[in-house]
Amino acid sequence: MNKITALAVLTFKEGIRDRALAGIFIIALIMLFATILFTGLFGHELGKVLVDLNLSTIAFAGLLLTFFVNINLMAKDIDKRTIYCVLSKPISRTQYILGKYLGLMLIVFVALFFLLVFSAGIMYFVKSLYANIYFKDFSWSCYFQAYLYEMLMFAVLNSVVIFFSSISSSSFLTLLFSLATYITGQTIEEVMEFFKKETLGKQMSEMNQWIVDIAQYVFPNFSAFDIKTLASHGKLMPFSHTAALLSYSVVYTILLLFLASLIFNKREIN
Amino acid sequence: MEVIFNKVNKTFISSFTRKKVRAVADLNLSVKTGEILGIVGPNGAGKSTLLKMLMGFIRHDSGTIFIGEKSPSDPEARLQIGYLPENPYYYDHLSAEDLMVFSATTSGMAKQDIKHRIDTLLKTMNLEHARKRRLRTYSKGMMQRAGICFALVHDPDLIIFDEPMSGLDPLGRKLVVDMVLDLKNKGKTILFCSHILNDVERLCDRMAIMDKGYLKKILSRKELMAKLDVQMAKADGIETNILEKIFLDTIGREADYE
Repeated sequence: MNKITALAVLTFKEGIRDRALAGIFIIALIMLFATILFTGLFGHELGKVLVDLNLSTIAFAGLLLTFFVNINLMAKDIDKRTIYCVLSKPISRTQYILGKYLGLMLIVFVALFFLLVFSAGIMYFVKSLYANIYFKDFSWSCYFQAYLYEMLMFAVLNSVVIFFSSISSSSFLTLLFSLATYITGQTIEEVMEFFKKETLGKQMSEMNQWIVDIAQYVFPNFSAFDIKTLASHGKLMPFSHTAALLSYSVVYTILLLFLASLIFNKREIN
Repeated sequence: MEVIFNKVNKTFISSFTRKKVRAVADLNLSVKTGEILGIVGPNGAGKSTLLKMLMGFIRHDSGTIFIGEKSPSDPEARLQIGYLPENPYYYDHLSAEDLMVFSATTSGMAKQDIKHRIDTLLKTMNLEHARKRRLRTYSKGMMQRAGICFALVHDPDLIIFDEPMSGLDPLGRKLVVDMVLDLKNKGKTILFCSHILNDVERLCDRMAIMDKGYLKKILSRKELMAKLDVQMAKADGIETNILEKIFLDTIGREADYE
């Protein structure tokens, strides 16, 4: 565990000092501050818009972090052979995968936690500017729950990044595969709905059924983690839903890290 | 700590053309405890492949490799190894101190010993002034010295250096030479690859010459000195670089240079 923690800290330090992270953080802060100006334009919906914009900004910053900082951190290890310095220590390939994953998650967690604190401050400030009537659906619990769901989504997404990094030696391919998985995961539910509507009363072709079934099982359902709209309407998800989604994320993450570790154990670092 | 290569083979297969390239062929070699073994050879001779197999970065196709009593696939085998890769590249935004703390922690050093060891080593390698600076600001020579600090911080028994003198200025080279001799005095086993024949000649107890994946010749310092005497006599007192001559004779001189 000591070795995994040491590698996680090393990865975190390298990532947190990256200028790209500072850039993403500044953009996210500007977007959060901009909500103060924009929300006034939405009349009686301003409470809902404020919650939606703030949560979207945090999610956007998390995606940029994952796709640009974290993928780069993983791929650079192989590209520039910094991995030699890690694997020359008594660290197994599995410990490497786990240490890297924890480091990447620590970067996302710390960066998004600070954004959450800023966004909460901004919401508190905006709430004080306008009458309570605009915030009748507002609930801090819903807001924090939506943030928690976003964090769970990033836990899965970063395990996807680790998985593709273990296969590919190019950061571009890892980015391409991870992005494709994210987009598929976000839209898979809609595609399913579409197929169901299209084939209403008719039998879905065996091939289509087969493709949809496979895609549904293989790709993580990222849209299930998106409860921003519900949070903006003050709808709190039941505990059973949160527990189910937590289990789903944990199982999916463990499975992907396990596969990544299996592949990485076979890989030659040349 | 003893290292043994027994009938080791390694072939690389290109992923697209499936073309096979033999990197190491039927290699038998041992490094005894407390010995300095230098491996020389032209580019593509298989020197770095040999060290990467020893480190477990790549797997040998057949034969056996032992580090003490352990196999390179066992991470614990690396507990007592200090490794400096060829053209070392470390994390841009970390400092030499961050790297050394990582190296010491993962190698199981006691927390209270780490700081003192880092201070001593940075002072020896003349990097104390830059200990907190990010590695991206280091010159090539400083990076090489930081790599040596990273490799040696946990005081390993077996030291593996891939081109340790590469990119070092004369002062840096002297620092490394002194350090290698000091390590030898402490009874450490050292295995290193180099293109700089003078360094190999000066530091090693035995020299291995590799070419096209094959181990062509192993010479002890005694054998080299004996040849040197004969050569000196022949040359009427003028000293010649005898290892260079043996090296060129062994690999087939410049005519084969690709």
